[in-house]
Amino acid sequence: MAELVALPGTATEIAAAVRRGSVSARSLIEIALARIEALDPKLNCYTERMAQRALREADAVDARISAGIDPGPLAGVPFGVKDNYDVVGRVTAAGSIVNRRLPRAERDAVLIERLTRAGAVITGTHNMDEYAYGFTTENAHYGATRNPHDPDRSAGGSSGGSAAAVAAGLCSFALGTDTNGSIRVPSSFCGIFGLKPTFGRLPRTGTFPFVHDLDHLGHFAGNTADLAAVYDVVQGFDQGEHACADLPPSPVVPRLGEALDGEVAKLGGWFDDMADDQGRDAAALVAKALGARGRTTLPGAERARAAAFVLTSASAGNLHLETLRSRADKFDPATRDRMLAGALLPANFILQAQREREAFRTEVSAAFSRHALLIAPATPCSAVLLGQATIRVAGTDLPARPNIGLLTQPLSFVGLPIVTVPIRNGPMPIGVQLIAPPWREDLALRAAAHLERTGIVGPCETNPC
Amino acid sequence: MLMTEQEVQLLAALQNIEIAPGHVPGVIRNFAVLVQQAALLFDAPLDVLLEPAPVFRP
Repeated sequence: MAELVALPGTATEIAAAVRRGSVSARSLIEIALARIEALDPKLNCYTERMAQRALREADAVDARISAGIDPGPLAGVPFGVKDNYDVVGRVTAAGSIVNRRLPRAERDAVLIERLTRAGAVITGTHNMDEYAYGFTTENAHYGATRNPHDPDRSAGGSSGGSAAAVAAGLCSFALGTDTNGSIRVPSSFCGIFGLKPTFGRLPRTGTFPFVHDLDHLGHFAGNTADLAAVYDVVQGFDQGEHACADLPPSPVVPRLGEALDGEVAKLGGWFDDMADDQGRDAAALVAKALGARGRTTLPGAERARAAAFVLTSASAGNLHLETLRSRADKFDPATRDRMLAGALLPANFILQAQREREAFRTEVSAAFSRHALLIAPATPCSAVLLGQATIRVAGTDLPARPNIGLLTQPLSFVGLPIVTVPIRNGPMPIGVQLIAPPWREDLALRAAAHLERTGIVGPCETNPC
Repeated sequence: MLMTEQEVQLLAALQNIEIAPGHVPGVIRNFAVLVQQAALLFDAPLDVLLEPAPVFRP
C-alpha cells in the first residue's frame, strides 16, 4: 500500500501555492480524496463522498489559473460540510432517514456557493447527530464518528464528522452548525479551532433547521489564519435568510496581527464549577496569556442553560411535529423521545424560558460593558468514550449526552460570537472558549491569533493511520 | 416529576400525537428531565416588565 500523504500545509498555504502555480488544485484534491478513502472507513466522518464533483471543480480552478483568471482566495482548498447543508442534487438528510422523502436540493447552500466562488473544493458531507440533536455524533442510522486522537472516543457533536475530518487532515476546513455547542464541543474534543459567529451574522439559506432562533452556522479549521480566511469569504447578507443581519462584511484577516484592546476576564461561577481540572487549567492558561486581570461571573448562567435546554426540546418537537405524528419509528430513539417530550411541554415553561433569555442577555451586556473578552472552558471534560453513560461534574455523575453542552449552551442562547481554541494539557485535548461581544468576531479571532503566535495554543497532532 | 403513561397519552392526544407504547418510557424519562430544568427557571423571580418582544429600531 502506498504511503498516505498529508495535505501540504494549512488552507492558507495551500491556496497560496495553487494561486502562484506551484501545485495544481487537482493534485491537492487527489491527496485529500486518497486520505478520505484510506481513513474514513476507520473514522466515519463522511456520509457522502463527492470525488467526481471535487475533481471537476479542482480542474476548473486549474483552468482559471491557466487562463490568467484569479481563482479566488481559497483556490484548491478541500473542505467538507455537515450533513445539514444543501448540496445540489442531493437530499439534505441532516443525519436522519426521515428526510429521505424530501426533494433533492436545487442549489448549494449559500455558504457553499460563496466558498466555491472563492476556489475552495467540496469533498463531501459529514456525519452528525440526527437533526443536530446531540453532543457525541453517535448516530443510530449512520454510525458513530470516531475521534482521530483516540478512535474509542467521541468526536463530539453534533458536527462531529466535520471536526474529525479536519483533525485527521481529510480536508482543510469544514462547515458546521452550532445551536447549543455543536461547533464548540467537537472543536474541544478533536483539538482544533472553531468559530461560531454572532447570531444573524452568516446566512443560513440552504441549511436544514434545528431550532430557528438558536441555530448558527460556523466552521472548523486547524489554525486561526484559516478560520479567519474562511470567515472572510462566507460573511455577508443574503436576502433568503430572514434572521441574517444586513451588515457589510467585516474582514478579519488584515486585522489578525492587531493587539487586543480592552479588559479580558476569566469566567468563574458556573463556568468553573461545571468544568474539570483540565478544563479549568486550560482556561486559566489562556486567560493569563491574554493578560486577564480578574474573574467575573454570570449568575444567570445556570438558568440560561436550563432555558436553552427547554426551548431546544420544545422547538425541535414543534418543527418535527408532523413526522412525529406519522413516522416516529423512523427517528433515532434518543432524538425521538426528547422531541416528543418537548412537544408536550406546558406553554408556561416556554414563556418563562423566553423571558429568562432576555434577563440573561441584559446580564451579559453588562459584563461586556466592563470587559472586551471573556474566557471559559468549552466542555466539562475532554472527549468521552463512545457509549459512555455518565460524566463526573462537580462531584456528581450526570448523564453524558445531554450534559456535555453545560458550558456552551448559556452562551449561544444569547447569540455571542465565540472562537474555540485547543489546548493539549492532558491525554486528550480540550477547548477554551474566547467569548466576544455581539458582532466582534474580530476580537475573539485576534485573541486566538495572539495565543497561537505565543505558542499557548496550536494544532494537536493526530495519527489516525 | 414522573408522569404516568396515561398522562403522557392524554397530553399527546391534545396534539393529535399517538405515542407507541414502546416509546412512552423514553418520553416520560425525558419529560422528567425537562421539568427538572424548567423548575430552575422559576427559582428567581423575573421583573414583571421583562418580556422578550422583538423591537423595531429605526
